[in-house]
This record gives sequence, structure tokens and C-alpha cells, in this order.
Amino acid sequence: MKKLPIFKALEHDRWVKPFLRQYKKSLIIAIFLGIMTYVAGAGLMFTSGYLISKAATKPENILLIYVPIVLTRAFGIARPTFRYLERLVSHNWVLKMTSKLRQRLYDSLEQDAVFFNSKYQLGDILGLLSDDVSHIQNLYLRSIFPMLVSWGLYTIIVVGLGVLSPIMGLWMLLVFGLIIFAIPIWSVLVNGARQVYRKQLQDQLYVDLTDNVMGVADWVLSGRSNEYLKLHVASQNKLLDVHLQMAKFERMRDFCLQILYLLGIVSLIVWGAATFGGHPSQMTNWIAAFTLAAFPVVDALAQLPGAAQETNVYQDSLVRLNDLPVPTKEEAKKVAIEAPYDLTLTNVHYTYPNTSREILRGLNLQIHAGEKLAILGKSGSGKSTLATLIRGDRKPNSGSIELNGVATSEFGDQITNYIGVINQTPYLFNTSIANNLRLGNEEATDEQLWDVLERVGLANMVKKLPNQLETMVQEAGLRFSGGERHRLALARILLKDAPIILLDEPTVGLDPITEQAVINTIMTQLKDKTLIWITHHLQGIDLMDQVIFIEDGELNMQGSPAELWKNEERYRQLKKADQGL
Amino acid sequence: MIDRHLFQLTGANSIVRKLAVLEVLQAFLIIGQALSLSWLLTKLWQGHTMDWLILLAFVACFSLRQLADWIRGGWLENYSSQVSEELRTTLLMKVFNEGQAMVQRQGTGSLITMALDGIDEVRNYIKLIYSKVLTMMAVPVIIFVAMLFLNWQSAVILLAMYPLIVLFMIVLGYAAQSKADKQFGNFQHLSNNFIDSLRGIDTLKYFGLSKRYSRSIFTLSENFRKKTMNVLKIAMLSTFALDFFTTLSIAVVAVYLGFALLRGEMQLFPALGILILAPEYFLPIRNFAGDYHATLDGKNAFKRINQLIDAPKEISEELALTDWNNDAELKIKDLNYQYPEGAQIGPINLDLKGNLKVGIIGMSGSGKSSLINLLSGFLTPSEGEITIEGQAAKTMNIPDWHKQMVYIPQNPYVFTASLRENIAFYTPEATDEEIKSAIHIMGLDDLVAELPEGLDTIIGQGQRVLSGGQAQRIALARALLDHSRQVMIFDEPTAHLDIETEIDLKERMLPLMQNKLVLFATHRMHWVKEMDYILVMNHGKLVEQGTYDELAAKKGYFSQLMQEMRGEIKDEETTDL
Repeated sequence: MKKLPIFKALEHDRWVKPFLRQYKKSLIIAIFLGIMTYVAGAGLMFTSGYLISKAATKPENILLIYVPIVLTRAFGIARPTFRYLERLVSHNWVLKMTSKLRQRLYDSLEQDAVFFNSKYQLGDILGLLSDDVSHIQNLYLRSIFPMLVSWGLYTIIVVGLGVLSPIMGLWMLLVFGLIIFAIPIWSVLVNGARQVYRKQLQDQLYVDLTDNVMGVADWVLSGRSNEYLKLHVASQNKLLDVHLQMAKFERMRDFCLQILYLLGIVSLIVWGAATFGGHPSQMTNWIAAFTLAAFPVVDALAQLPGAAQETNVYQDSLVRLNDLPVPTKEEAKKVAIEAPYDLTLTNVHYTYPNTSREILRGLNLQIHAGEKLAILGKSGSGKSTLATLIRGDRKPNSGSIELNGVATSEFGDQITNYIGVINQTPYLFNTSIANNLRLGNEEATDEQLWDVLERVGLANMVKKLPNQLETMVQEAGLRFSGGERHRLALARILLKDAPIILLDEPTVGLDPITEQAVINTIMTQLKDKTLIWITHHLQGIDLMDQVIFIEDGELNMQGSPAELWKNEERYRQLKKADQGL
Repeated sequence: MIDRHLFQLTGANSIVRKLAVLEVLQAFLIIGQALSLSWLLTKLWQGHTMDWLILLAFVACFSLRQLADWIRGGWLENYSSQVSEELRTTLLMKVFNEGQAMVQRQGTGSLITMALDGIDEVRNYIKLIYSKVLTMMAVPVIIFVAMLFLNWQSAVILLAMYPLIVLFMIVLGYAAQSKADKQFGNFQHLSNNFIDSLRGIDTLKYFGLSKRYSRSIFTLSENFRKKTMNVLKIAMLSTFALDFFTTLSIAVVAVYLGFALLRGEMQLFPALGILILAPEYFLPIRNFAGDYHATLDGKNAFKRINQLIDAPKEISEELALTDWNNDAELKIKDLNYQYPEGAQIGPINLDLKGNLKVGIIGMSGSGKSSLINLLSGFLTPSEGEITIEGQAAKTMNIPDWHKQMVYIPQNPYVFTASLRENIAFYTPEATDEEIKSAIHIMGLDDLVAELPEGLDTIIGQGQRVLSGGQAQRIALARALLDHSRQVMIFDEPTAHLDIETEIDLKERMLPLMQNKLVLFATHRMHWVKEMDYILVMNHGKLVEQGTYDELAAKKGYFSQLMQEMRGEIKDEETTDL
């Protein structure tokens, strides 16, 4: 069993097994209904077989076939009803699980939310994780449920026949055991590896093709398109080969399964003939009943090998989800500090875990209440790292970052009362404008919302929208431009009303005129607050009190814009370049 | 259900003929299987001992029927694979020959989904559709005829069920559809909501709401479940109806047969035969219904792919152009471009001669990039006259123009490939010396030193993500290696870089741009002064053109724009410029 990858993946699992125990009742009902569907299907054929055999003996009294008639009708109605109910109950159960799984996924990700983007840089990991949850849904519906149902049926068949004839019971234990266990395991062993390989090839092809379609302009301009196509067709053929091999095995396997099933039916006929037949009697009526009952059961079994083989595909999802951190429940101590709020950075050193390069090397900085500070530096110089350190999401390796004498990392979620953040690409949730704004203050009245929209210069625009504040931000025809998104983010921050605002390159990607306009609004609206503004060029820099340049993790230039212009040749150069003078 | 494109596939006729023969054969095997079993059971019922010969006949029919399945599966698998791979190659050929225009129109994501998942759906569709339709046509009919011989009354009962099943499935299918449509808005919204919350999780954290939001995730998901269940309750009814009528009709026939036997109107053998054949009679339609959704998906994918393949090709001009030189001339008269959404670019009138650095400036949305795309031939003008080297053209989509052109966008694409392959993309035959020298000139030495395997390290998406500046340097190194290209087109190459990187890059770019035709869209002011000639765009129109000094002297829109960009005019009065 340990050789089957799915069992390996499930060994230390926190995502599938624990949930099977939740809502146990509906799970048991779903499986019971699943078993009953097939029991009713077999029952229908059993009673009809018995009914016509009995009727063919032309009994004197019609009442003798009355019971089989009623049962035939009952089973005829029960089978579709059970099946319908089973599907409803099982889907309902799985969706309930999904709610739990989603919440769990959210909780796992919540802890590291702030550096999510830097931590999981590769690809669309969020989309991937959310897909993983739906994969687990499928694992339940397409693999685990059918298996449990077939095991139930197996037990009924073996025990039922075993009571009538122990030898027949044992024989069925073997024949159906081969169908239910041996063939699926064989299938996983032979095709499981292929299935994994196929998925790898598929993922690779997906990545490759995306890569090259994104770079299509270069392929066309370089005149090398056909070269790429040849490569692509070659890898596509590799995938096709695996696919064909798998399909070939599956056809052969399904044939073997049917032949084994035939063996089961033939055994029943032979057993029936030996037990009930041989001479004319009322007992021979049972032979047709048993034989016919066997046919509908094959539907439950034929899907098993495929279901078992498919479990290999879920491995990746399980591994990925189980690799996520376990949510911790730590409450930060209550912090009580009072205005004015001063930030003090003393000899801050920081190196990312598992890397060797020191990002910050002994940074000292005083940020007084109401001060406007700009932080500049090349990409990779540690500007953004500094921002997460100031907010207390990371702890310096040595040195300290304190807000009124309390380390910012001690605040936990309370930090949001003191430090607000506007980052590069402000996120707007797919809900109404009002809801997006109320993230800043859930109790805000509509007047307050209009007030902040007025202050950030969006009131007129929102007034023109059909549903005004209730307009969904992603509704057709309405697209917020870069500048407008930043203004909305600013409005949220105004509602939150924290004394210190951290701006992490808030205007990158805007054209200079829009950028200047956004900066002007930020400066007027936040004039009473402490501002820490990380930026990549010098647009609007003259509005700041203090400017620092970080290079190689250290302070390189520091001073007011006027001082720097006077004393630093390098600053003058950069400033001139930026202004195109 | 059947698409006319299906008949145009290569080998469609021959596979249909082969399958039809197999289906008929299989129908007879099904009847053989049923009759031999009934016969066997009847003899046993009469008290005879086991007739091994009949049992053997049953085993043979059963096995042969499964064997036919095996063979048919093989044929269909091979045929559908062959056809779908042909389709895929055709589609990709179109994408990689038409290039950007098609990708921009369709979107990268949708093209890739189409070429990979879409084609797989088509393969499945082809695999299903021929055999399911043929089975539906052959098997029930032949079984029906066989049942007529056994007991015509039962055969008629079962036949009567068929239209009833189809009718109910259609009615319930529509009901489910309208119910699903009604809820679709909500449905979509809720399923997107989860991923939306994940994407915005940092924003929630910044507002201190993330912990509490966990509960909302659960509640929202539960609401989603309730709504989904309401749709499923109806959607699953059509399967229920199918199930109900098939099983019920078997029960009805069994009871009918029971009474007929009781009255002595028939023998056990035909009664058993009918009973065994009844489920087989309904099996094809049940299978068809089971695969209905896969078939539908495949059909839609097939249709979309055929639309893409049949879409008219972007027009291109086959002109023989020499490499751009000091005497070359490009004249553009009354060029217009109309976006499908309504925005209009133009009229553009231009006359460029010889090696020049041409700056294109304007606010975002003023049409800089559109003009660049028109001049590079990625967009086809709606109207206008182009004269290049004395030859008239309708578009700049000219292979000879593309051959001499370097195009560098704001975010040049870095392939997931080795640094060497990336840099030598336009010149695969470049030597290591040349590559290293290009790396040095473009200031990539630091990057190479950081890479564990130097030039052979794989970079790009999903491997080692490069900064914007590094990607830009790689694009420039590519251009540097390919000396033959005389036209350089830049679309906002440095705006997103930090000021120090920008200045450093500028120093490295200027020598590259000498003695070439350069078209350079930007809103960074320091570039403007480097240009020999400047085009000023506003609201899609080319409003001013001339040298820097000419434009500055004019004190028109250009001067105003420059002032504003420096932040010298306060925003309130300028936002609607």
C-alpha cells in the first residue's frame, strides 16, 4: 500500500483525512444512498427475474406473484430516487467541506499575507492553491466516494452469498476482490507513473507555450517562428505518446475487468444451476433472479480503476497544501502609546532567512511626528524590506525599530492603528466602491465616504456612475485608471486615519502629469501626518522634509531636498536628469 | 450536436464507415448474448442440467462484444489524436506567423487555453461524437427489431418510452438552464470571491481586518453552497428523469411479461430475452446523456478553434526594401486608425528621411503606443497613404521592414531559457566572445557574476525573475549583437526604472542609437532633448512636430506639456488637459 503515491501523500495529511470526520452523518448517508442505488438496481433485475420465472410456472393463485410485482415496481422507482438523493447529499457534503477547506487555506495564508508577493514570487500561486481546493473536491467525489460505495457492495455480495453457500462466498471474495482491489492497484502501478509524467509534460507545455506566446513578437521579428513550432510539436508528440500508451493500457485493463466480471456471472449461473436446478422444481425460479441481478452491479465497479489511477494527480495538490504553515493563534499584547508618535531605527541589520546577503547594514534613522521622509535607492537596495521592518512584519536581526519605545514587531494587528500603507498596486476588491472604502472604517457613514472622495478628487467621477457608491468596481464599462486606483486607496487610508502613512512606490507606472497630481493630493490631504515615502525617482521630491538614499544597505545621502541640492553633486545630477533640464 | 467542420476532417468518412460496421456487429453480439443467456436460463428453469455449449455461446458473445469495444476504442483514440494534433499545429502556425496582432486581439491566456486545453477537449469530442451518434443510430434500432420478434407488445412499450425520455430531458434541461442563468451572476461572483479575497489578503492585513475576515470566507462559501445546491437540485433532475423512465419501463415490462406468462400467452424464453435486452436498449441514450457536457464543451472549443483558424489574415505588404540608410524615406499621409471600442488615432502626417532619432511624446492615453504600433506594422491602419523608399503601402506590416527592425517595449520579454539563448535570440550563431562583450557593454556583468552557472543559467518567469532594468539590458544586448538591424523602435523603455538605473541605461543606449532610424515613445523628459525630431501626441492626434528648439520656440502644447511634467503647474488646473 505504501507504494501507492496517494497513500504516501496522505500519511501526514492535514487536508483530507481530518475532514472525513467532519459532518460524519451526511457522509454516512451519502455512502448509504450510493450503496442503495446499486442494491435497488440489482433488486429490480432480481425481482423481475424471479417474477417472470414464477409467472411462467402458471401458479393458480395470482397472490403468489403479488410480492415480486410490488417489489419490482418499488425497486424501479427506488433506484433513480436513491441515485438522485445520493448525488445531492454527496455534493452538499463536498461543498460543506469546501467551505471549511477555503477557510483553512485562508487562515494558513493570512499569517504571511504581507510578504506574500515576495515569498511566492513564481507564477500565480494563489490561483494554484485555490484550484487545489477544487481538486480535493474531485478527489472526494470521483475517487473516495465510489471506492467506499464499492467496498460496501463488495461486503454485501460476499456476506450475502456466503450465508447461502460459504464456498460461493469465498469464491466471490476472490473474484470481486480481484476486480475491486487488484485491478485498480495494477492500474495505479502501471499507469500512475505515466499519469504523473503526463501531468508534468502538460504543465511544462503550458509554461513553455505561455512563455513563447508572450514573446511572440520576438519570434516573428527574428524570423525564427518555425524553429519554435518544430520544438513545440516535438514536445507535444512526446505528450501524445504517453497519452496513447495510457489509453492502450486502459483499454486492455477494461477488457480484463469485463472478463473477470464475466467469470463472476458464469460462476453465479453454474452455482445457481448446481444449487437450485437439475430437476424441475419451484427452486429453479431463483436461477434467473440471481443471474440477472449481477448485471447492473458492473456499473459500480467499472469506474474504480480509473478513479484509483486519478488519485495520483491529486498528489501535487495535497503536497502543496500540506506544505503551507499551520495557522497559529497568537494574540499580541495590548499596546498603549500616546501621540506624538516618533519612530526610531537604531543600527538595523537585516538578512533574509536562508540567504547570505545582508540587505540592511546598520541603519540609523529618526522619524519625528509630522515629518515627511522620502526613501530612494536602486531596486534591490532594501527599500521595500525597510518598509516591512517598519510596519513590524519582519524583525531586524539586530538593532531595533521602535514606535514610542515599543518595538513595532510587538504590535501585531494593532499596528494598523498607527501605520497605514499604500503600496504599488492598490488592490480593489470585486465589490462596491462603498465596501472598498469601508475597509478603512467599517462604521463610516455615507457622508464620510463622500467627504473622503471629495478630498481625493473622485467625488465628481463617482457621482456620475449609475449606482454611485454602490457601483461594483469591476462592472463592465467602468475601469479605474492607475491614478484613480491610487486615489481610492488614499481615500481608504484617510478613513482609517492612522498617524503614520507608509507609501511604497505608490506612483510607479503613472505618467509624470498624473503622478504629480496624485502626489499633490497625497501631500495636501496627509499634511498633518508622518509620511514615509519610498520612491524610485524624484518627481515631487521638493515637497518632502527629509530625503535619504539607500545604497548597499547603508545610508548614502541624507538631508532636506534643499541641503542635498546645495551639497551633493550626485543629487544635482539626478535631479537635473529627472527634470530633463 | 454535429458540426459541419466534422465532415471536413481528414479521414472522417473512412472512420465513420469502419465504426458503422462495428456498431452493427456489436448490436448483433448484444442480441446473441441476451438470447443465449435466456435460452440457458430457460433450460435450467425447466430442470435440465447445465448446457455447457449454450454457456460457451454466451461467454463468446459477451467476450466478443467487449473485444469490439476494445478495438473501437483504439481506432477512435488514434484517429482523434491524429486529427486534433493537426488542428493544433494549424492553430499554432497561425499564431506564430501572425504574431502580436493576433495575440493582442485574442489575449495570451485565451490563446494558450485554446491551443492546449481547447484542443484536448476537441480530441475528446471527436472521440465521443462519432461513436455515440452511431451507437444511438444502430444499436437501439436493431435491438428493437429483435424484441419485435420476441414479443411485439413489450417492444412497443419500450419504444413509447423513448420520446418520453427525450422530451423530459429537454424540458428539464431548459428549466435547469434558465435557473442556472438566473443565478449565474451570483454564482460567478461567489466563485471569484474566494480568489479575490486571497489576492487582497495583504490589503486586509494592512487594515487589520484579515483575522476577522476568515469567518466571512466561511459564510460566503456557505452561501455559495446553498445557491449551488439550488441549481443542482434542478440540474440533476434531468438525469433523474432519464433514470426514472428507463428503470420504471423495465419494471413495467417485467410486470407485463409476468401477467402474459401467467395467462399462458407466451413462453419464458422470449420473456427473459426481453428483460435482458431492455437495459441494453436504453444504454446508448444513457451513455450519450452522461457524456453530454464533455461533448458540448468539445463542440464549443472546436467551433472557437475553427473560427480562429478561419479568421482573415492581417494584411501585409510584400515589398522589397533595402536596409534603412541616410537616403531612405518614409512618408505618411492622413493615416488613421479606428479602435473597435471607438477611440481614434490620427490623422497622422509625417515625413522622415535618413538616420534620425524621433521622439514621440504625450500624456498616457494620448496615442503614443498606438502610433508606435502603426509604425512597426503591429496595427493595420484603417486608412491613409504610406510611401516607403518610394513604394506605396497600405500597412507597415512588411516582412522586409520587420527584418531590419528592433522593437523594445517597456517590459521586454525574457524567455525562460539560458542567459546565452536570451541574449543571442536574434543571432543564434553569435560566439561567446561576442555575447560576453555585449553583456559587458550593457552592464550585465553583475548579473552574470550572481548566476550560479553563468551564461548557461536559466532565467525568466518561474526560474529567476529579473528586475525591470535587467530585462531592459538583455533586450538592448540582443539589439547590440544584431548589427544588421537599422531601425530601432522603443516604447517607453525606462519610465518604470529607478532614476539611477535609468541614467546608467541611457548612457549605454545612446551609442547604440547612432546612425539608425530610431522611433522612441516616452514621457521621461530627459530623453526628449536627445531626439533629433519630436512628434507630440494629444488625444490621438499628432498636434505638433519639429526639433526640440523649434517646438520650444513655438511655446505651444509642447512647452506646456514639459512644464506640467516638471510639476511646475499645480494639478487642479491641468487635470483635464
